[in-house]
Amino acid sequence: MMEFTILFITILFISLFQIGIPFFVKRTVVFGVTIPYEQAQHPKVMQYKKVYAILTALVAIAAIVGFFTWGQTGRVSETQLVLIGSIAPFIILIAGLSFYFYFHYKMTHLKQEKNWFGEVKQIRVADLTARSKDEMLPSYVHLIPAVIAVMLIILSGNLFDQLPNQIPIHWGPDGMPDAFTNKDWLSVLNLPIMLIMLQVMFFSINLFTKRSGIKINASNIQSSKLRQLRLRKYTSWFLFVTNVLMTLLFAFLQLNLLYEDLFSNGLLVLLPIGFMLIILAGALILAVKVGRVDSDFEGTLVLDHSSHNKTESVDDDQYWKGGLFYFNRNDPSVFVEKRFGIGWTLNFANPIGYFVIFLPLVIILVFSFLI
Amino acid sequence: MICLNSELDIPLYRQLSTQIMESLVRGELSTGDTLPSVRALAGDLGVNMHTVNKSYHDLEAKGIIEIVAKKGAVIKAQDQKITTQRLEHLSSEFKPMVVEALLSGMDETKIHTLITNIISTVRED
Repeated sequence: MMEFTILFITILFISLFQIGIPFFVKRTVVFGVTIPYEQAQHPKVMQYKKVYAILTALVAIAAIVGFFTWGQTGRVSETQLVLIGSIAPFIILIAGLSFYFYFHYKMTHLKQEKNWFGEVKQIRVADLTARSKDEMLPSYVHLIPAVIAVMLIILSGNLFDQLPNQIPIHWGPDGMPDAFTNKDWLSVLNLPIMLIMLQVMFFSINLFTKRSGIKINASNIQSSKLRQLRLRKYTSWFLFVTNVLMTLLFAFLQLNLLYEDLFSNGLLVLLPIGFMLIILAGALILAVKVGRVDSDFEGTLVLDHSSHNKTESVDDDQYWKGGLFYFNRNDPSVFVEKRFGIGWTLNFANPIGYFVIFLPLVIILVFSFLI
Repeated sequence: MICLNSELDIPLYRQLSTQIMESLVRGELSTGDTLPSVRALAGDLGVNMHTVNKSYHDLEAKGIIEIVAKKGAVIKAQDQKITTQRLEHLSSEFKPMVVEALLSGMDETKIHTLITNIISTVRED
């Protein structure tokens, strides 16, 4: 029943997010296609967004209802439940992505047909004072949880001889270990080393996000700047909270490994669920705080009539492959704001990004295969 | 606020230098202020770092900023009186444009009005 509830909440959350994406991304980028600010509420544009939402919602409802009725039959084993419950979000994501590509294609055509940007002046804008208003957390805060990881390693080293010969390496959703391995240095230090890798990754994501550009749209300077500053601030907080929770979780598991039965089973079940709920709540706050600025949720367009000639930010669609992947050799930014969704994506032309994201993941994977 | 137009014939780094100087004229920047790092500004604008670097060196050569180790590009105190050398330099920069204006049928008063207009646009903006 516990697994069922967790999976159900996750599927519901992912569905709502996937349906709402077109409405809380920047309204000047529709399905990955840049359009002039004045055209953001063009009837065709709004129609595409609505049809996308309806189609995605239909798939999501089918998946949720199907999962719910199937889960209630009572003839389902735990493994089956977890398996199907983990596949369901992917079905919704893939459906959303397919509809995205369809409307990306439609939008590209609409833009060509209407010759948007044909007669407007395109300019790049930057605010020299924007960085003094940047409220991102300093990167070194991510080194504070690293102290705990180092302490766990020292503690594990001291207790190595007293440990039993079987070391748990995998935990089920009920918080109980369900796979074991023989004791050696690698298996005992596995968790803290993985934790340090994650912390290094969090630290560098924060560092390079901070160094990345604060992108402003020339036709709506105020709200586009506010959106960028909010995205930077709230994602850096979200990253830090995630780091702290991960550290706590890994510390609990490691301490439980070192001192057998230190914590009750109930606590070990509740802890991951509690953390997951905090993460979901954090993601929701982030989506609301960022998603309401410079999107359809902002209400009517704030058109600046003071300048007579129409101005528009540079149409950088040429750098966005499929409207999803940013590839710009000139831009020194490592992370840029996502076009379809809330958060950041890599500048794939910048090799630093690969090191920051993929290197720690590869090391973690190699480690988990070694033991 | 910095605005660059990639469709103009003026190179981006020249546009950037002019825009930074305009911010100074308007008082948006003042002596002792630090400009963003080359990487940060290039990221904000989505232009190559060389463009920003070139512009900063251009401004340094003009005596507008000073590139201080660890602090970055700092706005220098502006001279109250122009040096003869600087005046000569500006004069030689103005000359081809004045000649072009004269040949395009502008008389002295029209050139004066044009310059006054430019000054007021830069200051008010």
